[in-house]
This record gives sequence, structure tokens and C-alpha cells, in this order.
Amino acid sequence: MPTYLTPEQLTARNRRSLWIALGLVGFIVLIFLTTFLRMQSNLAERKAMNVPVAEATR
Amino acid sequence: MTQADAPALSTTQPEDFFQLLKPRVMSLVIFTAATGLVVAGADINPLVAAIAILCIAVGAGAAGALNMALEGETDALMRRTRGRPVAAGRLKSNDALIFGVVLSIFSVMLLGMNTNWTAAGLLLLTIVYYAVFYTLMLKRRTPQNIVIGGAAGAFPPVIGWAAATGDAPWQAWLLFLIIFLWTPPHSWALALYSTGDYAKAGIPMMPVARGAKSTRLQILIYSLVFVPVAIAPGLTGLGGPVYLAVSGLGGLLFLALAFRLWRSRAGDQPDKAEAVGREAALYDVRAEAKPARNLFAFSILYLMALFAALLVERFASFGAA
Repeated sequence: MPTYLTPEQLTARNRRSLWIALGLVGFIVLIFLTTFLRMQSNLAERKAMNVPVAEATR
Repeated sequence: MTQADAPALSTTQPEDFFQLLKPRVMSLVIFTAATGLVVAGADINPLVAAIAILCIAVGAGAAGALNMALEGETDALMRRTRGRPVAAGRLKSNDALIFGVVLSIFSVMLLGMNTNWTAAGLLLLTIVYYAVFYTLMLKRRTPQNIVIGGAAGAFPPVIGWAAATGDAPWQAWLLFLIIFLWTPPHSWALALYSTGDYAKAGIPMMPVARGAKSTRLQILIYSLVFVPVAIAPGLTGLGGPVYLAVSGLGGLLFLALAFRLWRSRAGDQPDKAEAVGREAALYDVRAEAKPARNLFAFSILYLMALFAALLVERFASFGAA
């Protein structure tokens, strides 16, 4: 059976969906930045301790 | 589903979810957490610091959402809180609960990944402390609710410090103690002119449970303990001369206001809004309750000034270096 929404419900749902999407995008960006910053600081630490950044592959 | 059933569907707006986060409390959390993070003096990437502050703010907001989800019925009985989304019926308490839980998980996880798990653990402790220990267990059981529950609001500078250093030394706990001891005089000053609301909601705030006279005395006693602790960072090296001046002068004024409140009859009569039967603004009170309102308003300013002084001095020292 089809669902009928009043204009108010439709507008509210669209706005909520938009904010959920923005929230998810924001969360993904934050996870990306966190990963990037973590890797950057780990590499800097290794460099400072003179530990090889990566083993040479054969 | 037919069109007749349609009103059962949600018309909740994104703004209602935003209000669940208690934006005004959140701004204080951001400020105090940022102070803890900066004053810790660690060499932290500004982007990492910004994400950490965001996580702490969202975590605090999540605790607020859980509080509103669990207190919808009580909030509906009080003027100050009846406009909140759950209390006003714009949002189902279950939706608020899910929103709070999801944000709690995301904020704690992200803070742990971004900085360290000490900070994340403290954030989780704060959320559980506020939502479960304070809201569900303390608030309705004891007039000391705000004293013990105030610890939840005192954690942010410690979390900020831990986010920067991975540690929570005694200096961080001194900042905790300042907010912890500030909370009772601040909250009870407000409660003195909102007694009717708390009584109606069945919350045993100090003026309801022990009366206005006892509350005024306890405010004075807490103020006498709070002000020296507020000055302490200026004597222990955490703050400098600016902090010492701000905390000392502000502290004297705080004590003067607390003394005047103790001598007053604030809270002896029903609050103005009740007496005249209309919605009252937070600062629109009876003449005899003005000392309570003055202390309440100044307490916010004083706390802000203390943390701002710490921040300013730390930034000035960065500039000098």
C-alpha cells in the first residue's frame, strides 16, 4: 500500500535526510583526516628515531 | 499506510536534533576543554586539537541528548525546560535516545583514534556519569544531586588536557575542582528563584528539600571554599599575574555577592513567574530574589573569565616564545 505524506512531513523528511547525509560525509572526512594525521605523526616519530620507514622489498 | 495515518509520521526538524545537544552547555564545554588542551602545553597538531575539541563537544552534546530523552516528562513540567524537543512533543524520546547513543559511540571512538584512549575513556566516563549516574540515579534521590552530578560538567578540561598529553596530572584536576566547586553556588542560586518549578517536577533541589535559608548558607560556605581554589592556579604556576588578578578580584566580588545573598531573603517567597502566573525570563525575578540572580549571572562571567585568563596567558607565552 502506498505511503502518503503531508507536505510538512515530506519537507521534514527531506531536511532530515539532507542533514544525515551531511553528517555522514563529515564523519567520513574526519575519519580520513584522523587516519592521515596518525600516519603522518607515526612516520615523523620513526624518522626521529632513525627507524627505517619501510623495509626494502626484494 | 493511508493518508489518514500520515500524521503519525515524524515532522521532526533537524533543528530539534541540534537542540538536543544543549548548544549553550556545549559552548561552555568547548571553551573549558580547549583551555585544558592549550594550557597542557603539549606540541599538538592544530588539526588534531580541533578534531579532539569537536569530539568532546559532540560527546557532551550526546550526554545532553540522553538526558533529554530520559527526562522528557519532567522537563515538560518546568518553565525553563518545557520548550525542549522531547518535552514539547516534537521528538520521540526513543529517537533522542538512539541519537544520543550513536553520537556517544562515534565521539568516543573518534577521540580515541585521533588522540589517545585515556581521553576517550574520560569522555565515555563523563557521558555515562551524566546520563546514567546523575540523570537516572541522583537527580531525584538527593538534594546533593547537583554537587555530585556537577563532576560531569567539570571533566571537559581534564579530557582536553588528556587529549593533548595522554595524561591527566594534578594541574588538570585543579581545573576540574574549580568547575566542580563552582557548580553548587551557581546552580543553587538559580534554584532559589525557580523553586516552584523544581517542586512541581518532584526534583529535590536544595531549596525544595532543605529550604531557602539553608540553601543560602550552603551557597556561602561553598563560595568560601570555591574562591581560594579558583585562585590556586595563580599560586601554583598554572596561571600567571593576569590570572591571579582576575581570579582574586573576581573572587572578592563573588564572595561579596554570596554574602549579600546569605543576608537576603531570596527564595523565601514563590518566584515571580509563579506569583504573577506568566512565563518569566531567566533574569526577571522578584526584588528580594535579585541577590540570587546576581550571583547566578556573575558566576557564569567569573568562570568564563578564569578560563579566558588562562588561555590568554598561554597564548601570550606562545607569542613570546
